[in-house]
Amino acid sequence: MERKDNNQAKAPQGAGEAARILTEFLEVAISCIIFLKGVYPHGAFERRRYMNVVVHRARHPQLRDYIHSSVNGLLPFIQKGLVERVVVIFFDNEDFPIERFVFKVNLNLSYGSKVEQSDLEFSLRSFLIKLPVSESLTKLLPRGCRWEITAYFRALPEASTSKDSELIWIPTDTKQWQQPPLITPIKSMNSEPLGVQLYLEHPSLSEPKP
Amino acid sequence: MSLNSSSRSATSNSNSKRSVTSNSNSNPSTSGNNSCRNNDKRNRKRKTDQNQKTLGMAWGANSRSSSRSAFRNSPFPDFGSYMVMKNQKLHQQFDADASSSSVSGACSGKPIFDGVSIFVDGYTVPSSQELKGYMLKYGGRFENYFSRHHVTHIICSNLPDSKIKNLRSFSGGLPVVKPTWVLESVAANKLLSWIPYQLDQLASETKKQPKLSAFGFKSGPVLDDLEESISGQAVPQSGIATLRTSCSLEANIFGKAECTEEVEECHSVSDDPFHPNAAESADQAPTYCMENHCEVELDAAVVVQSDAGYHSHISPCQDPKSDHNDCLEDHIIEESSSSKTIRPSTTGHSTLSDANFVENYFKFSRLHFIGTWRNRYRKRFLSSANGFKDMNPSRNAFATSQKTTIIHVDMDCFFVSVVIRKHSDLKDKPVAVCHSDNSRGTAEISSANYPARNHGVKAGMFIRDAKALCPQLVILPYNFDAYEEVADQFYDILHKHCNKVQAVSCDEAFIDVTDLRVEDPELFARAIRTEIHETTGCTASAGIAGSMLMARVATRIAKPDGLCYIPSEKVDDYLHELPVKALPGIGHVLEEKLKKKQINTCGQLRLISKESLQKDFGVKTGDMLWNFSRGIDNRLVGVFQESKSIGADVNWGVRFNDLNDMKDFLLKLCKEVSLRLQGCGLKGRTITLKIKKRRSDAGEPVKYMGCGDCENLSRSVTLPMATDDVDVFQRITAQLFGYFHIDARDIRGAGLQASKLESADRNMRGHEKYSIRSWLVSSPARKSSMAKGKGDQLYSDIGPPVQARGSFSGGEAYVAHRATLPALHDLDVGVIESLPPEVLSEINDLYAGELISFISKKKEKNAGNNVMDEEQSLSNPLVPPNKDFVHNVAEKIKSSEKEDEQYINKMIQGLPETSGSVTALLPETDSLMPSSLSQVDSSVLQQLPEELLADVLESLPAHRRPDFMSNDVYLDHIRDQTGAIDFLPSNNLWVGNPPRWVDNFRLSSCQLLNRIAVLYNKSSPRGQFSSVLQLIMSEYPLDDGGDDAVNCLCELMKQYIKLKIETDVEEIYTCSCLLRRLTSRSELFLQVYNCIIPHLQAAVGETYGGDLNICFIE
Repeated sequence: MERKDNNQAKAPQGAGEAARILTEFLEVAISCIIFLKGVYPHGAFERRRYMNVVVHRARHPQLRDYIHSSVNGLLPFIQKGLVERVVVIFFDNEDFPIERFVFKVNLNLSYGSKVEQSDLEFSLRSFLIKLPVSESLTKLLPRGCRWEITAYFRALPEASTSKDSELIWIPTDTKQWQQPPLITPIKSMNSEPLGVQLYLEHPSLSEPKP
Repeated sequence: MSLNSSSRSATSNSNSKRSVTSNSNSNPSTSGNNSCRNNDKRNRKRKTDQNQKTLGMAWGANSRSSSRSAFRNSPFPDFGSYMVMKNQKLHQQFDADASSSSVSGACSGKPIFDGVSIFVDGYTVPSSQELKGYMLKYGGRFENYFSRHHVTHIICSNLPDSKIKNLRSFSGGLPVVKPTWVLESVAANKLLSWIPYQLDQLASETKKQPKLSAFGFKSGPVLDDLEESISGQAVPQSGIATLRTSCSLEANIFGKAECTEEVEECHSVSDDPFHPNAAESADQAPTYCMENHCEVELDAAVVVQSDAGYHSHISPCQDPKSDHNDCLEDHIIEESSSSKTIRPSTTGHSTLSDANFVENYFKFSRLHFIGTWRNRYRKRFLSSANGFKDMNPSRNAFATSQKTTIIHVDMDCFFVSVVIRKHSDLKDKPVAVCHSDNSRGTAEISSANYPARNHGVKAGMFIRDAKALCPQLVILPYNFDAYEEVADQFYDILHKHCNKVQAVSCDEAFIDVTDLRVEDPELFARAIRTEIHETTGCTASAGIAGSMLMARVATRIAKPDGLCYIPSEKVDDYLHELPVKALPGIGHVLEEKLKKKQINTCGQLRLISKESLQKDFGVKTGDMLWNFSRGIDNRLVGVFQESKSIGADVNWGVRFNDLNDMKDFLLKLCKEVSLRLQGCGLKGRTITLKIKKRRSDAGEPVKYMGCGDCENLSRSVTLPMATDDVDVFQRITAQLFGYFHIDARDIRGAGLQASKLESADRNMRGHEKYSIRSWLVSSPARKSSMAKGKGDQLYSDIGPPVQARGSFSGGEAYVAHRATLPALHDLDVGVIESLPPEVLSEINDLYAGELISFISKKKEKNAGNNVMDEEQSLSNPLVPPNKDFVHNVAEKIKSSEKEDEQYINKMIQGLPETSGSVTALLPETDSLMPSSLSQVDSSVLQQLPEELLADVLESLPAHRRPDFMSNDVYLDHIRDQTGAIDFLPSNNLWVGNPPRWVDNFRLSSCQLLNRIAVLYNKSSPRGQFSSVLQLIMSEYPLDDGGDDAVNCLCELMKQYIKLKIETDVEEIYTCSCLLRRLTSRSELFLQVYNCIIPHLQAAVGETYGGDLNICFIE
């Protein structure tokens, strides 16, 4: 959506710029997923245009802020190449994960040349196009569910780099599946310096029910 | 008047119970006919009301009803329903009689009148009862009351004048025949043509405008066949050939019951106001020979005969705007047309089904005549006009000092008087010229003579209005030949008397007699007028004044057949009371504006200051008004205005069903405009397409087939180079039309114009000078010397790039080269030697046998003589010319980044066609390609893009494939690309571009694998195996390839998974889904699938910590 975080970005070249674009994209994509899953009434979203595609953005300031701040809080980590996956997890009322939207991020930190948003736009846009039509792949959510954004790091971040934005992120104790999940890929992109893959994870059929 | 809403049953025959409802009907007579047959009770009331209206005409109360008992016992609500019942009863009686007579068998004869249904009008010998008896006996029908739908022939011995005058409304277009026809048919025991038996009164009348559709339309084979098939009857020996045929055709049609519907259709159509349609011809000669009676019939005959005429008539029925119940009608039309061979098989759906619509349209257009007359005039009097122009400056010099005298000569009602000049009896009668003489028609009168004008008839009036004003109005058709003749005479006279003539139109001109120093201009003008009258037989009026404006005003006063002289001192008097409208340049709009300011006459106009006029109407118009109202006109006689644009507009009869119609039509327009341009020797740079689009709320236009209320859309484009080429026009027009985004059915008119005209001659020169062709032709020498360092090449050498390119531009380059044979020592021996023997001998002939000896001589020298240029390998002295060619193609394509294989193929295969020289000398196209890859420079091939390489390899002749398969060079090439060749299994099948497996597969013995390799090159996006699989999906049948193939594919897939699993799980997923689908098609793919799934799941699990959401297939 809007480029609010230009000031946060470090040297806006190569991987740094790509990371910034990625966070912006993630913010939009996550909003779209939330909209798609119908956790909130549709009225809670408004239509916006991003990369020339119609997307949905949360109207409620708190919801919007949650998505915005959590994703932007990831930016420093993404820039350092620490973030492996960003996952939107939907839980049922017993906090048991039902569905996970996984963004697998692959950022080439050594990429030196300048990156423009327009370079990545074509690939990223295809996610936003594919997402709404992937609804059939997803599971219907039960009532009383909740969701959260979880990031999987390649290594634990050092505590020293404490900034406000990074403090948003706390270690999680989210319940995990016992069995390897079933994976349904939705979209993949692989370009320099950024590769993103979006896939769904569902509990495997042999997963013991809680 | 619209036929659209009228309904009719499919057969007119006997007791048809079919009835169709129509929900709206504006035409009383049609509705009257139809309504009675309508048994829809909901509509009965309304219908019968209409019926009552039509009862004024005895003919209108036709019909029989299919309703039965409903009214039997009840009193008839009105006369209409009574007639319905009566008719029904009469029919029943007739049927009963007919059956009884046939049962008794006593005297029933051969049913010669099958399908004929007569109506007897008035007193006849034999009596109507006897005629009825004949009909009963010989299978015909007899109607007591006239109905256009049931009756096929009207029998009568005499007709009152009123009926003759209004024949169409009386007969409904049906043949009116004498009773002897029936008698003689009975005597001959076959149905005779009714033509010779038509009523004398009708046959003798000559004044009618012919429906010349038939004349313009030569009776084709269709017609002839028809005659034979339908009647097998002798064609009557009378009349003009075409006319006769069409008439007899009609007779034949009438003779057959199954055709009656068709005829009926035709008649109802011909009942429509008849208009000049596509097929209508204005050919004058047959007009007068033609008999009036035929005229009536022709309408119908034409409809049957020529699909052109037919459709221009019918099209209103198919008009998109018409109600839905028209569908039925359309259906009937279609049905009848398909079930009968009468109509030419192409049942077009619009006016445009006439192939020559545009052509004919203009052929018979008066405006077109006037428009094109200018060119004629220019050509004819060009020389004198030129001489005059030379004098112009001197005239200007003393124009200021000397008082000018200008005479304006205008023929009196030109279009009428020319036509009637040889008919002195018509001189004092009201006469008008028009396409059509249908008294109810909406054809517009184009010109009326003064007697007619006295009745209030004006040009532009619909015929029906004119007839209403002046019932005795005689209407004549155009005679374009005569117009041309008279106009030429007119101008001959003017040019004879004076060399300063400015043509305004074909019948109107200004002459400047100032230089002639005529003593008495009145006398001079009188002499001219007399001469015009004597030569042409038509009168002209003349106005004399000091300026063109006043001369014109004077002519106005002089008309008709008069002379008026306005000396400069009297100008004010004349102008004072002159309505402003009379001034040239003041049209409706300006007049309205002036009226609002209470200005009606020039006198009033003069009271207003120039500044105020300029403020209100703009500088130019204001200036003009101010000047004209004072009789000031500074224009000079003799400025022949060059056309600013040339174009063609068609605003009548334009109806389309779909875009294809429109496209065809546009093509014809393009041809027309192109022809006109060529006719004028001009080319246009700006092309404007104008479309008349029906306004959404506009109904069917008042004028039959007219354009009605339209939005005028226009678009234009300016080309860099002027053109008169049809193809260019067509391309541009299609483009322009595309911008409109318009429904073809809403189009009511179209026009195409070329402006920014340039002379074609000048254009041609410029074209020659700057065209790419001339550039190319001049370049070969330089380039070929670069390529070979040897100056001119032998023209048969197709190898050098320049030569090849030169020949792309057409034969000229070749011709240029051929003209001078290159010197013998300039020839490349290597090239010549590799030529096919027959070509070699041919060239040898050209060099008078010296070539062969030259070659052998040269060969000896050759060893030390490095003739070849650097890129040729020395080891192969006989490098074929093709090498360079291939190289050239490659380079060319590379530079332009054209990757389309078709394009390349075209380049390679199309070359012989584009260059005459190549085909002539190299009979086989194959020989364009190297006979084997060994002759191809591998470095060239390596530089080729992969796709192109594949294409070049593929385009090698099939029988040479084995050749290159084993070819060292080729293998080298592969080696260069991919390193050492080792066939399966390899660890890096996906390395390289194209990946190594593609080559491996290509060389495999398994057809399926070969196929996959080929598909890889076709797939897009290149490099994604899923796109290859997708292509495989569309292949059918899939042949199995055995275990080897399974292994190869498994290995391929495994490596692909390995390659992609990290970055593109989506692609892997897509591939496995596609594979899964392929399993149902081929056992092989099932094996592959089941083989790779465990591998795949393991890989996914390793990377993503889960299983891919796919499953085994048992």
